[in-house]
Amino acid sequence: MNFEINMERDIAIIRLYGELDHHETEKIRTHISQTILKGNLHTIIWNLERLNFMDSSGIGLILGRMRELSAVNGQTIILNPSNTMKKIFQFSGLSKYVMEGKEEEAILYARGIVNG
Amino acid sequence: MDNEMTLSFVALSENESLARIAVTSFVAQLDPTIDELSEFKTIVSEAVSNAIIHGYDEDGKGIVTVHAVREGDVVSVAVKDQGKGIPDIKKAMEPLFTTKADMERSGMGFTIMESFADHLQVESEPGVGTVVTFSKKFHSMKMTQIS
Repeated sequence: MNFEINMERDIAIIRLYGELDHHETEKIRTHISQTILKGNLHTIIWNLERLNFMDSSGIGLILGRMRELSAVNGQTIILNPSNTMKKIFQFSGLSKYVMEGKEEEAILYARGIVNG
Repeated sequence: MDNEMTLSFVALSENESLARIAVTSFVAQLDPTIDELSEFKTIVSEAVSNAIIHGYDEDGKGIVTVHAVREGDVVSVAVKDQGKGIPDIKKAMEPLFTTKADMERSGMGFTIMESFADHLQVESEPGVGTVVTFSKKFHSMKMTQIS
């Protein structure tokens, strides 16, 4: 499991690689959370294109960060999940945050909402 | 029965991936589609994580056993622990119910398992342990191509 965080002003793009389970989530959660809290953040884009596997731990990780973002009325975009992940997001009521496309498109979309 | 395997390991979270790798190899004979395989792995991951986190509180001592049987294109799996057990199974299976919100457990594990498995059964007794049994039918890629 690996991840990268790219900051584009007030947008954090988090790319996840490999397999995300409870064990891996525990390892990366604090790091991601600290990066988010340090920045003047408004949006998180979770790029799941290169994530091969995710179970319900991923839901916990994303919901936890949404809670942290809610303090600043921030928004979340879940980019390019697999079919199985899409179903998991659907069961969890997160379908409306799922988007397909390029990171650039997700950023423009996020800015559109931010700038009204 | 066409094949059978048993895997036992101590309740450490790093063994969640071990369980997924083992069952992935076990069903490889069936040429599963990518979606079938990832759904199957997800069920195993949820059941094994539950045993490690909730059954044993990740004590690194309790034993989790994954027993898989293949009959034709149907694979049945039992994930067993002798941990603390579930006092109210019906409650535990409700979407979003979790006893470990502080750990950011989403409470979606059983909902996901029920949705991805063809059949799922949970037996548990406080102080004795828990067995999650499920089965899933695989529609081989070869068969899809022929039909």
